[in-house]
Amino acid sequence: MSIEISQLSKTYNQESDFPVHAVKSLDLTIEQGEFVAVMGPSGSGKTTLLNMIGGIDTPTSGSVLIDSENICELDDKALIAFRRDHVGFIFQDYSLLPVLTALENVEFVMQLQGLSEKVCRARASELLTMVGLGEQMHKVPSKLSGGQQQRVAVARALAPRPRFVMADEPTANLDAKSTSELLDIMQSLNEKEGTTFIFSTHDQRVIKRAKRVIVFEDGKLTEDKQQ
Amino acid sequence: MLFKLAWRNLWRQKRRTLLTALALSLALFLSLFMRSMQEGSYENNIDNSARFSTGLLQLQNPEFSESQSIEDLLPGTTDFITPVTAPPLSPHITHHLPRIESFALASASERAKGVMVFGVEPERENSYSGIADKLIAGEFIDADDKQVLVGEGLARFLSIKLGDELVLYGQGYRGQTAAGLYKVKGIIHFPLAAMDNQLVYMPIKLAQTLYSTGEQVTSWVLHTDSLDMVAEVKSELVQAFGSKVNVRDWQQLSPEMAQQIAMDKAGGVFMMYLLYGVVGFGLFATILMMTLERQREFGVMLATGLLRRKLLGLIAIESGFIALIGVLIGLIITLPVVTYFHYHPIQLTGETAQLMLEMGWEPIIPMMLSFSLVFDQVKIVLGLMFICLLYPLWRAYRIDLVSALKGDSYG
Ligand SMILES: Nc1ncnc2c1ncn2[C@@H]1O[C@H](COP(=O)(O)OP(=O)(O)OP(=O)(O)O)[C@@H](O)[C@H]1O
Ligand SMILES: [Mg+2]
Repeated sequence: MSIEISQLSKTYNQESDFPVHAVKSLDLTIEQGEFVAVMGPSGSGKTTLLNMIGGIDTPTSGSVLIDSENICELDDKALIAFRRDHVGFIFQDYSLLPVLTALENVEFVMQLQGLSEKVCRARASELLTMVGLGEQMHKVPSKLSGGQQQRVAVARALAPRPRFVMADEPTANLDAKSTSELLDIMQSLNEKEGTTFIFSTHDQRVIKRAKRVIVFEDGKLTEDKQQ
Repeated sequence: MLFKLAWRNLWRQKRRTLLTALALSLALFLSLFMRSMQEGSYENNIDNSARFSTGLLQLQNPEFSESQSIEDLLPGTTDFITPVTAPPLSPHITHHLPRIESFALASASERAKGVMVFGVEPERENSYSGIADKLIAGEFIDADDKQVLVGEGLARFLSIKLGDELVLYGQGYRGQTAAGLYKVKGIIHFPLAAMDNQLVYMPIKLAQTLYSTGEQVTSWVLHTDSLDMVAEVKSELVQAFGSKVNVRDWQQLSPEMAQQIAMDKAGGVFMMYLLYGVVGFGLFATILMMTLERQREFGVMLATGLLRRKLLGLIAIESGFIALIGVLIGLIITLPVVTYFHYHPIQLTGETAQLMLEMGWEPIIPMMLSFSLVFDQVKIVLGLMFICLLYPLWRAYRIDLVSALKGDSYG
């Protein structure tokens, strides 16, 4: 699995007098199994970049090749299927379905792939156990702490065996302890399952744990370092 | 999975869901109650007035409806009427009565008056209409009698009493003169003045002799086992008898009543749509809120791979559940009430009741208990839901993923 980004640009309000160039002619390659942090000041374009890689937003120009397939050319329906099968999402506010239990939340995204109930159940409980929620899987999100909810979200993102996981500021709402627990889990999944993680953050503690850090400023890449 | 999700989503806003469903139930209750009462009273009126004069269906000579002439007749033989008395029609036709209906001039001692002559088979006619109950003097006629019954008003006008004689004079079949002298065997009080003042009732054989029609009749009066069967029986009669017989239903025989019913029904249906229109706004608001307040949640579902059409499906199922709950609660409260009033009809009082009593009818409004009326309501609720869904579904279909995910209207 590889992600090849070339000459990627995104301009909001293109037609208006004040166009916003959120991402400017970006070139970037991410390989299978990487654990990448995207950092940068607010408004630098991190979310915009992640959205384009994850097939949520479409670029103004340039291309995103996932295993040589240009996802910028997919239509809405094909993009949904692409996201369903190949991308895991973790959101800042957890974004679990409030009426489903932790287990059902994880199962749901697999059922969208058409997997059998039995397979979904087995993998969902395996993942929830892995993230340390073996005892809590029948609780609805409102009965879980923020850190626990975000761990459910990690399990949900991993469940469909995606090629990579996108996490836009996954720890922004978590305290220090939950943050480090979550990073432990993400790291071990990255190592065990070989899943690629790409996450944006402001948090220095998170950046320290990343293997590769990309620094973004005003829509441009200013630093790209392995650590 | 979508169904489970939809069902649970409903109860995130328990009160809103229940209120919306209950509004639907109330509309259904009021509409179904009103429509059952309307249709029940129409049926009752139609049946009453059919028995009183025209029947639900009549077979006539094709010319007769225009000419009302004694020249335009149908055979009165059992042979002729076999299609009515044999299967497959016979189970649905409860009465078939031969009649002669024509005009004559009636005179007694000093006065004369134009009258309607009804030649009937006394026993069968009575079992259909209960006419004998309206006798105020004398006795009912027998099939072989050479005597007649007259309306009370007519008797007064002609100054005749029981046992007096009156002369009928008119035109018979093929231009022959119709004339006869008849003794009054009984006096009948008809609640309708028009009939009371001009009706002469006689056995059909006597009328056939008077008008020299032989075995012919002016009409065959038919009654079906239910009002719903009239249209079907009519079309089968048309097939069976072909173009030599004109089959007329009660709408053609009593156009005024048919029109009155149509108007009344239109009023009721209008009220019903008005009611559903008001409730529809509530349903629309609920469904729209359900959609708009969850933009971010829908965004997350689309991001994680729910196809747009499944998202629309989810919204439709949620609305469907609300409609279903509304219909179920509505039926649970309505059906027992309508059933009760079907078996224990509402008793009328006051003037209407008096009027009906005079006609010899029971002053009641029975409720109609009909599957098709219930089904109509369900169809209306489903239609309403469909209309209410259009805009919310369009909004959901047009969700822009990026801004939906940015929004914070989650949960
Ligand atoms: N839908 C939009 N319409 C117009 N401008 C937008 C839109 N989305 C983002 N922008 C602009 O694009 C730029 C990059 O935004 P983006 O959300 O990618 O930044 P970010 O690095 O994620 O910031 P933060 O750390 O605050 O989340 C900002 O200047 C922002 O105002
Ligand atoms: Mg951002």
